[in-house]
Amino acid sequence: MNHAIAIAGALIGAGLALGGGAIGAAIGDGLAGNATIQGVSRQPEAQGRLQVIMFLIIGLVEAMYFINLALGFYFVTSVAQGVH
Amino acid sequence: MMVLAAAPGNHPLTPVCGDQRLSLLVLNFYYCAFTLDSLVSSLIAGVITVAIGLAVAARVRSGVPGKLQMVLEFFLGYARGLVKESVAEDAGFIFPLAATIGMYIAIANWIDFFPLGFSPWIEPANSDLNQTLAMAVLVFVLVQAYSIRVLGLRGYLRRFTKPFELNWVVRAAFIPLNIIEEIVKPVTLSLRLFGNLFAGLLMVYLLTLLPFFVAWFPVAAWKFFDVFFVGTIQAFIFMLLTIIYFGMAREGLEEELHARAAADHRMDDAAGAAITS
Repeated sequence: MNHAIAIAGALIGAGLALGGGAIGAAIGDGLAGNATIQGVSRQPEAQGRLQVIMFLIIGLVEAMYFINLALGFYFVTSVAQGVH
Repeated sequence: MMVLAAAPGNHPLTPVCGDQRLSLLVLNFYYCAFTLDSLVSSLIAGVITVAIGLAVAARVRSGVPGKLQMVLEFFLGYARGLVKESVAEDAGFIFPLAATIGMYIAIANWIDFFPLGFSPWIEPANSDLNQTLAMAVLVFVLVQAYSIRVLGLRGYLRRFTKPFELNWVVRAAFIPLNIIEEIVKPVTLSLRLFGNLFAGLLMVYLLTLLPFFVAWFPVAAWKFFDVFFVGTIQAFIFMLLTIIYFGMAREGLEEELHARAAADHRMDDAAGAAITS
């Protein structure tokens, strides 16, 4: 019974973390894309350089989400395996 | 729960001196065992990195360069430019360190493209937190040592009172924040790489739960995206952040030089005034 409650809690927590992380990553990606579009429309010749920077920022932003995903999964598996 | 029981990320431990571990809530830290699969796969990646480096160095020529040499020259030139730009002109060991880290991580991530499920001993090396944390801690220690060497012990400690232009009460209040900021660096550096690679593995694993006649397309598409886009970008980000951390380790140096130059200037002025009067 206790184990079932622990698993339920772990799954709910992982779901909350994933949801919040997805919101944050989406907002961050949107901001990066927004700034890039503005930069390109002001200076079309800078598109190449801006795109490199944009992908870099997107990598940094999405890393937070992937950290969430990996750690959430880690916690869920270790609870599910009955490690107390 | 059957799905979770056989999931990726369970690196089999090879004990060296018994089952020594530190239990924290749900996490166990084994400190007397190693994960053989990560050792094997990181050894493969390291051997390939060194082999490429040696092969290109042996056949290097100043005329028309080969394709591999061109790629490597472009990458190294770019990394050298980054180090010069954000650290210093005379940044001795930082450029080789950062370039090696970037190249090794990129190759270790690209190895992930081959179907590695056939052997329990070979996994993408960076999907083990031990591996990425080891690299991040090495970078962290070197950054601290470099900071002390460049700034001196006094300048190094002064760096922790960071907004230099405020008065000393506010700067004292900022000390804990600065210490936390410094400690968080290796944690985020290692978790970023680990999280990306691990999530990639997890995605492949979940996709292979589909029936095989559907699974091949999403698996192939995801592998292309994950390995060649995410893997490359994460390797580049790790290298870039290494360089940036070294650059931040010099904070306060320029300012100090400016202050000293200004003081010299003032003394020169005073001396000039004394001579003329």
